[in-house]
Amino acid sequence: MTTRVGALGGARGMLGRVQRVFARERGNFTWVYLWSAPIRAMHWIAAACILSLILTGFYIGRPYFATSGEASAHFLMGRVRFVHFAAAAVLVMTGIVRAYWLMVGNQFERLPALFPVTGKNISNLVKTAGSYLTFRPDKQPNFVGHNPMQQWSYTAVYVMAVVTVVTGFTLYGQSAPGSVIFRAFSWLPPLLGGLQGIRVIHHLMTWAFIIFIEMHVYFAIRSDYVERAGVVSSIITGGRYISTDHSYEDYDIAKVPSHPWPTGEHRTPGKGA
Amino acid sequence: MIMPSAHQWVEGETLVQHFESRGISRREFMEFCGEMAVILGIGSAATPRIAEAFEAAKRPSVIWLQLQECTGCVESVLRTESPTIGDLLLDVISLDYNHTLMAGAGAAVEKAKQAAMSANKGKYLLVVTGSVPLKEDGMYTVIGGRTAKTVLEEAASGAAAILALGACAHWGSVQAARPNPTGAVGVRDVIKNKPILNIAGCPPIGDVVTATVVHYLTFGRLPAVDGEGRPLFAYGKRIHDQCSRRAHFDAGQFVETFDDEGARKGWCLYEVGCKGPATFSPCPIFMWNARTSWPIGAGHPCLGCTEPHFWDTMTPFYGRLPDVGGFPVEERADTIGLALAIGAAAGIAAHGAATVFTQIRRRRSTNQVPESTSEEESHNG
Repeated sequence: MTTRVGALGGARGMLGRVQRVFARERGNFTWVYLWSAPIRAMHWIAAACILSLILTGFYIGRPYFATSGEASAHFLMGRVRFVHFAAAAVLVMTGIVRAYWLMVGNQFERLPALFPVTGKNISNLVKTAGSYLTFRPDKQPNFVGHNPMQQWSYTAVYVMAVVTVVTGFTLYGQSAPGSVIFRAFSWLPPLLGGLQGIRVIHHLMTWAFIIFIEMHVYFAIRSDYVERAGVVSSIITGGRYISTDHSYEDYDIAKVPSHPWPTGEHRTPGKGA
Repeated sequence: MIMPSAHQWVEGETLVQHFESRGISRREFMEFCGEMAVILGIGSAATPRIAEAFEAAKRPSVIWLQLQECTGCVESVLRTESPTIGDLLLDVISLDYNHTLMAGAGAAVEKAKQAAMSANKGKYLLVVTGSVPLKEDGMYTVIGGRTAKTVLEEAASGAAAILALGACAHWGSVQAARPNPTGAVGVRDVIKNKPILNIAGCPPIGDVVTATVVHYLTFGRLPAVDGEGRPLFAYGKRIHDQCSRRAHFDAGQFVETFDDEGARKGWCLYEVGCKGPATFSPCPIFMWNARTSWPIGAGHPCLGCTEPHFWDTMTPFYGRLPDVGGFPVEERADTIGLALAIGAAAGIAAHGAATVFTQIRRRRSTNQVPESTSEEESHNG
């Protein structure tokens, strides 16, 4: 290649620029499979649901379109509420699948992955937060799956989702007093200042989700740029490339047998490790 | 034609006999029984049963206590321009003691109450309007030298059942709003060993009281109640789900200010703070003032007065969501949410910018892309 470049004469400086544009991370990499298909499917279904719940929820909270003419000619709020309730039902479905996968998933998907409470995890949490705050990605502990900060934040999102769903179904049940949903959540309004208290919590949760989405998207993309971690692709393809030159807090490369690419099956590391 | 209280319902006279003496025809009486059967939700087939019960009903003894209250409930329930049979029923059953309506006063009235209570011990119906203040040993309401709590406990001990009429008797109403300086509570917080029916509202609708009394006279017990102790026949559905303006809600047609086109066209009052979606009440069906109108019908949002603690939980009355406390200036949920979301976005932008800056510096110093190295050649080769 050097000779060919040499043949191009004075193009060396140009090539340097091209090389900078197409810079590569050097080293040895291997592909690991992290997120099972149901997890990925539920992630994107839930994302679509939450997005439509936010849009329809803000309309229900403060209708930003108005119709005119005879009321009989329109059913705008009715349709918006239908979409809201249907999306909520689908979101509950994704929650049920996720809850099942907390029991049968790999080490990155199981219940303990939501609660990194050991001393080592706490110290890694502090280190991770410190690396974010001081802009030192090189000081960040390496994780194949989620780092403790991610683990806790996703646990928080699940809690937020449960609070939002429970308050939402409490409000939903009001139109049918005596129904199963009404009875199931009838204990809640007296504890939280009546239906208006439920409503304001449900509403504030919407904003909490918006803030979460902002941070989630930012940190995912930032991670791809700064750490070259390929996490955005991992929630689409299920896996990502990790450097075999590093060691990882949650994954021992030496213990997981590798498979020839592309014919071999990708081993789920959690089950082998 | 209903005559004013020319003579009382006397002992031994049945209700129907009394109605006849007051000029109510058999037809009017049966119409009333049918109406009550419908209001109670037990079906028109129950009309004969109600009529039968009334034919046999002897004058029940009712003691009506007015404690810490404004007398608005008495006004709402008893005072109408053209009395209906229901009003008459309330009129005739509430004779034993009601200190606002009684002609007498002072010790004589208290004596009459004691006499009525001991004569009908365990049988009389106790109606209570007003809350019970508990702070400072209850000195905020004293009747005949005794505190409201003492008066209530004494009257409740011999009562067959208690009707807690209005928001005050239900949970304390405006005097129990934060910070509740007199320590006002409802009847249910003081009396624990008697059946209590909460006829919620500030004030409640007279028809609910009438229908409850009819139910009590017909079946000998109080009607079925919800979790708040309110009769289900009246408080079983939200205002929102029975509202005459509901079609405008579903269509997406809302009043935005009180003088806009939507307000003139009778659109939904949701955006100007209507609490119909959080309020269980029969207002849209029973209505007020001899079924003339009701708040939402007249273009005013529902305040949610049948729900406990509505002065605290339903305010601001003209806003959709409660204020979120803890700020020097009361802020709405959306203002806070938007501020936090923008703050988070700004933080993210700053963090991102700082990341880009530090990364550029780091890569310049440590991660120069080499023009050509032996390692590079071996990789490409």
